Amino acid sequence: MQNSFYKWIPDWRGWVLPILVILAWDAMSRLDANHAYAFASLGQIWAGVVELSRSGELLVNVQASVQRALTGLLLGASAGFLIGSLVAVSRTANILITPVYHAIRQVPLLGLVPLFALWFGNGDTSKLIVVSLSAFYPVVLSTFEGMLQVDSKFREVGQVYRLSRWQIYRRITLPAALPQVFTGFSLALAFAWLSTIGSELLFTAGAGLGNLMMNAQEASRMDILIIVTFVIGVLGYLMSLLIKLASAHLFKWRQVG
Amino acid sequence: MTRDWKRFLPFLISPLLLLVVWWWATAAGWYSDDVLVSPAAVLATLQELVASGELALHLKTSFLRLLIGFGTGAVTGVLFGIWMAISPRVEAFVLPTFQGLRQVPTIALIPILILLLGVDESFKVIIVVKAAFLTVALAAYDATKGVSRNYFEVARIYHLPKTTLYRKLIIPAITPPVFTGLRIAFSRSWTILVAAELLAADSGIGQMMQLGREMFRLDIVMVGVVITGLVGFSIDKIFKWAEIRLIPWQPAVKA
Repeated sequence: MQNSFYKWIPDWRGWVLPILVILAWDAMSRLDANHAYAFASLGQIWAGVVELSRSGELLVNVQASVQRALTGLLLGASAGFLIGSLVAVSRTANILITPVYHAIRQVPLLGLVPLFALWFGNGDTSKLIVVSLSAFYPVVLSTFEGMLQVDSKFREVGQVYRLSRWQIYRRITLPAALPQVFTGFSLALAFAWLSTIGSELLFTAGAGLGNLMMNAQEASRMDILIIVTFVIGVLGYLMSLLIKLASAHLFKWRQVG
Repeated sequence: MTRDWKRFLPFLISPLLLLVVWWWATAAGWYSDDVLVSPAAVLATLQELVASGELALHLKTSFLRLLIGFGTGAVTGVLFGIWMAISPRVEAFVLPTFQGLRQVPTIALIPILILLLGVDESFKVIIVVKAAFLTVALAAYDATKGVSRNYFEVARIYHLPKTTLYRKLIIPAITPPVFTGLRIAFSRSWTILVAAELLAADSGIGQMMQLGREMFRLDIVMVGVVITGLVGFSIDKIFKWAEIRLIPWQPAVKA
């Protein structure tokens, strides 16, 4: 009884380091005027929270960022799934698409930012393309590899039963590869979130948590930066948790990684 | 040998096709120079940047930042990761903070670091250190945790000295996964460095691209895109090559 109760209290030792860091940070901010400028005190940070939530600024930017991440994820992952399937099923598609895919993938995603800025402008279109691409890459790879790893015996059974290529894909290859496709999807979510923030830092037009940060940086508002960074971490964690739960629920029938 | 070559040949079709379409689209004048420059123009800009030594200078700056940052982050990361895995006390104190930090994308820390450190050299190196340290430390931690308990028990029964335990058991066991962690950390470091240079720098390959963006010089931007891609690709290949060479007890990694 006691044991199961203690299990729910996180080990106190894990809290020591973060609390020490926070106290040291707060102490730094109280040293002198110069430090107060660079380090925001806990009071300032709290005032920043109140200010951001009163003005609704936080909500607007959270909404913009989450919406961008999810839209990009949906677009990129769907395209990635289609391309990945195509490459896995058709040898011609493999020969034509794989080299181009691998060549483009080598460029660090945010390295494409200056190019997209010149092509698609400095705002939402460019951001969405970057986010979609970031979700696209891992899903292509996981779909392709997942389908390749499906035991060829299964497909041979399908051929014996004279199933059409579409039926083999739909009834045999796809279900068998699905867990791995989903693994790629959860990777894609992490990348989509990262590149949402990254693209918002680098494309200055429009709303988003990254844009809020850039404005705060220019105004030297450390309190806002800390709040936003924290919010980014929490949102990223929540989204990955959601995916994990969904995966556990969807693939109850199969042990996933 | 020739058969390998022949099998490889079809994979060149689409890149070549793309190149031809690109060349044709610019030659036909469908797009203005602000939107699409010809392959020849990009090549000419590349030659110009190489001849003036500008490209070499930018690359040298970027590589220096990358090597210092990655070196520091990777070495401390490996040591710290192992320490965290073998000492339950360190694990209890530090791991939760690690897991928390991992939730924040490194790039989101750039604004805070700029405000704290300014835009000079230290900020760019530290962001790379952070990216490398966290990735490598977690890889080393996971790898060490993954070493089977049985081995440790056998070592204890035989009263194996600590140094032998490390030399003969832990290090050989964790080298392959740690190496994979290093490879991933290096490519992350490269990405984050390019991003940091795009945001705030007076030199480096990212800054060259940013300048190209501000001056609407698509040719310079495209040279930058190709170069950053090539660098990332080569680094990855070098790591994979080293992995095969340095870790003979590990089955060859897939290319």
